[in-house]
Amino acid sequence: MKQKHAITSLLQLFSLRFNLTGVAALILTCGLLGPFSYGQSEIVLRLPMPTTGPNSLDPVRGASQYDNVAASYVYETLLEYEYLTRPYKLKPCLLESMPEVSEDGKTFSFKLRDDIYFHDDPCFEDGKGRKVVTRDVFYSLKRMADTDNQPKSWWLMQDTIKGFDQYRKEQNEAERFDYDAPVAGMVEINDHEFQIVLNQPFIRFQYTLAMFQTSVLPREAVEHYQDRISRHPVGTGPFILEHWETGLQMVYRRNPNYRDVRYPADPGMKDDATPPYQGYAQDKALGMYDCAGERLPLADKVVLTMFQKNAPAWLKFLNKELDYTRVASENFSQAFIKRKRTLRPSFEAQGMRVVALPLLDMVYNGFNMEDPDYGGYTDQKKWVRQAISLAMDLDEVNEAFYDGINLIYDGPIPSGLDGHPEGHTAAVNYRGPNLQKARELLKKSGHPNGEGLPPLVYYTSQQAQSREMAYMTARNLKKIGIKMEVNALDFSELSEKMREKGAPFFGLAWGSDYPDAENNLQLFYGPFKSPMSNNFNYDRPQYNELYEEIRVMPASPERTAKYVKMRNMIIEDVPMIGAMARTRYYLIHDRLKNFKPEETFSNWVKYLTIK
Amino acid sequence: MWAFIIRKLVYNIPVYLAIIFLLMVLLRQRDPVTGKLGKNATQEDYISKRKEFGLDQPIYLQYGVLLKSIFTFDFSQESWNEPGVTVGEKLRTAVPRSLALTVPALGITTVISIFVAMLSAFYRGRWIDRLLVFCAVLGMSVSFLVYIIFGQYFGAYKLQQWLGTPVFSIHGYESGLLNWPFFMLLPVLISVIVSMGYDTRFYRAVMVEETQADYITTARAKGAPQSKVMFVHMLRNAMIPIVTRVMITLPFLVTGSILLEEFFGIPGMGYVLLSAIRNDDFPVVEGFTAVFAGLFIMSIIATDILYAVFDPRVRLQ
Repeated sequence: MKQKHAITSLLQLFSLRFNLTGVAALILTCGLLGPFSYGQSEIVLRLPMPTTGPNSLDPVRGASQYDNVAASYVYETLLEYEYLTRPYKLKPCLLESMPEVSEDGKTFSFKLRDDIYFHDDPCFEDGKGRKVVTRDVFYSLKRMADTDNQPKSWWLMQDTIKGFDQYRKEQNEAERFDYDAPVAGMVEINDHEFQIVLNQPFIRFQYTLAMFQTSVLPREAVEHYQDRISRHPVGTGPFILEHWETGLQMVYRRNPNYRDVRYPADPGMKDDATPPYQGYAQDKALGMYDCAGERLPLADKVVLTMFQKNAPAWLKFLNKELDYTRVASENFSQAFIKRKRTLRPSFEAQGMRVVALPLLDMVYNGFNMEDPDYGGYTDQKKWVRQAISLAMDLDEVNEAFYDGINLIYDGPIPSGLDGHPEGHTAAVNYRGPNLQKARELLKKSGHPNGEGLPPLVYYTSQQAQSREMAYMTARNLKKIGIKMEVNALDFSELSEKMREKGAPFFGLAWGSDYPDAENNLQLFYGPFKSPMSNNFNYDRPQYNELYEEIRVMPASPERTAKYVKMRNMIIEDVPMIGAMARTRYYLIHDRLKNFKPEETFSNWVKYLTIK
Repeated sequence: MWAFIIRKLVYNIPVYLAIIFLLMVLLRQRDPVTGKLGKNATQEDYISKRKEFGLDQPIYLQYGVLLKSIFTFDFSQESWNEPGVTVGEKLRTAVPRSLALTVPALGITTVISIFVAMLSAFYRGRWIDRLLVFCAVLGMSVSFLVYIIFGQYFGAYKLQQWLGTPVFSIHGYESGLLNWPFFMLLPVLISVIVSMGYDTRFYRAVMVEETQADYITTARAKGAPQSKVMFVHMLRNAMIPIVTRVMITLPFLVTGSILLEEFFGIPGMGYVLLSAIRNDDFPVVEGFTAVFAGLFIMSIIATDILYAVFDPRVRLQ
């Protein structure tokens, strides 16, 4: 019946019989066809992804947040984050228990769970996924070293595991990369037990084991699919990729062989009547523990839709075709009463709820410390940069471009991490606007009203409103007599500029890879200067020494004290101005249960359901 | 005729080679490598990536490799942005989707525009003509983006609210004839509305010129019926500019409509090409341009041939 309507309507259209009957039939046809595209009896999550989607699902080739999200459905890592607990806490994922760490902090002993199987796939004999063994873990890590795989994340392993750098060098120089060749720091005890020995007790290592780049995949799949492995993932995760329409949609199905993993139980209040973690009461009130003990994943199917534009994503959400959406700035005033930042009653009446998620994020302006005019470590040079910082008004930027929702803080350590300044403000800081002090510092530096200073050349990306923000900065600097020239480049050109140390002043952002300030503080470590991640080309021996100390220190008040010291050095030397952490507003339909938005890790879809 | 075609093809070979060369040189003004390295990439990573992309080779060698792949129809080079997917695969999947949008849009637009233009020319200077010209100018004056946003809001979102059932898709694509009305009709209608203004004005000008021709006056004086004057005499003689316009448009059918595809989530060629340009995916941009430039040259030759078909005075020499 539906087909007849469709064909009739099409014929009417092409014969240009645009009478009312034709149009009505056409509308009816479209209407009949539309909603029958999805099954109704299963739990289907319809989630958005605000981009063209991932580029690759090969863990070692992936780098972006979107690669992470899409890969996290199918792949798993040795460790993962506890879904609801804050601050972030690691827990075993493919392991039976957390790894045992030797006294010197260098040797990690692991025991794999005995019930983990790869997805059923034609790459295996009989198409049945086999059990995960130690060799799979080592193989997956070794893939990060093989340059033929175009790995984007070798930096996570560089100088970390004993003998791994040497292995990488030798194998890449050899005629054939030998995955069976031994690495001194990878010790196989048996199929389920192994040790990893580090060069130094790097704290970062444990976080690395929860990053999707270290996901475990079978050698058979890589050899079977070769380059196509980036499109055909075979993992151990709760979902299996069923269909991928590039740039449009990814459809995942529940993994029928997923091991018995249960939704976290309610930990209850502690004996001393304090909550077990930050935000527990709110989670409880939202019914986050209603599914406690249920087997994961809770959903049968996940439809991940990519949107290059915000407008259709917003309409689809309003139309209840998506379970949640990020609120783009153009839709902010439609959804919220801006002054109070509360949801409008019309949205509340539909049962929607909102979550404001502060990101582990750092939007900043940076100086090239090797620039002859604005770089350098002398007092005069420092005073010029401090004056520039004091002339800028980050609150104005926040209000004008972000509806005032971002968090402004001093230094490079985002909120929620050890070393972040209390009240977001450091005791000594150069946060503007303070034009009087800025002018005084300029005068002290020998450049009253900016005299003798060449124009400050600024580079930023063409994306979003970066150019407009730059003009606002230029206007503020003009008030103290400093002329700023704005150059907006596309991202690859901007990256190239950074690599070549060609930008005296620039605007960039950094999203933390893991919840430890070390990840942000390494951005100022001398040996990591451009073309690596230290785009500031900041190189101060005192700071470098501190960094080398903290990267092998476990969390402790002593380590935090060093973080603070390093943070204050950055604030004082001003290689960067800022920072600002973006806040993401999520709008969620009532039907989506257990959703606690998170962007630091992405494997939380297994906990979501529709009711 | 074959001699004409072969001569034309030979003349156009240098043009084609120049297009490809120019494209290569222009693309290589940017360095695509930095954006494709991960965090903390070293200089060695950079050099290795350049080598992997073949960018360490002299430009003439890169040019030679590209020409070889074009003339042997070998589009098996991997996309730089989507490892594991070849340029050929991208073209094969994206082009039909674009055609599903652009072919109906062109067909409907052309037929309606010619009809409206004839009507306007027939009633030249009268209120019907003025109304139609006003509508055409109005249609041209509004931005494409406005049509898309309003179309999406009212045509897909609001219509569903009013009727209680989805009529058109807000965003998305599924292949198949039965899915076509739901996913494609709204963008096609928007495309028709936008293009009609331009086409109607152009065709009207052609028709008006023809209505003043002596042969029309003669036909009328002989007592030929109005329909015969318009559809036989006038339309046939107006076909050359119409064919030129349509033929020039044909290669662009393959390129799709970047805006429509982007907003409606139709992964056609416009969508793919834009994404490739944004991501410095040189193999995809080069592969696509090679195909498009070839089609464009073919369509110009085909236009010349069609001139002779529609106008006996034109001889292919």
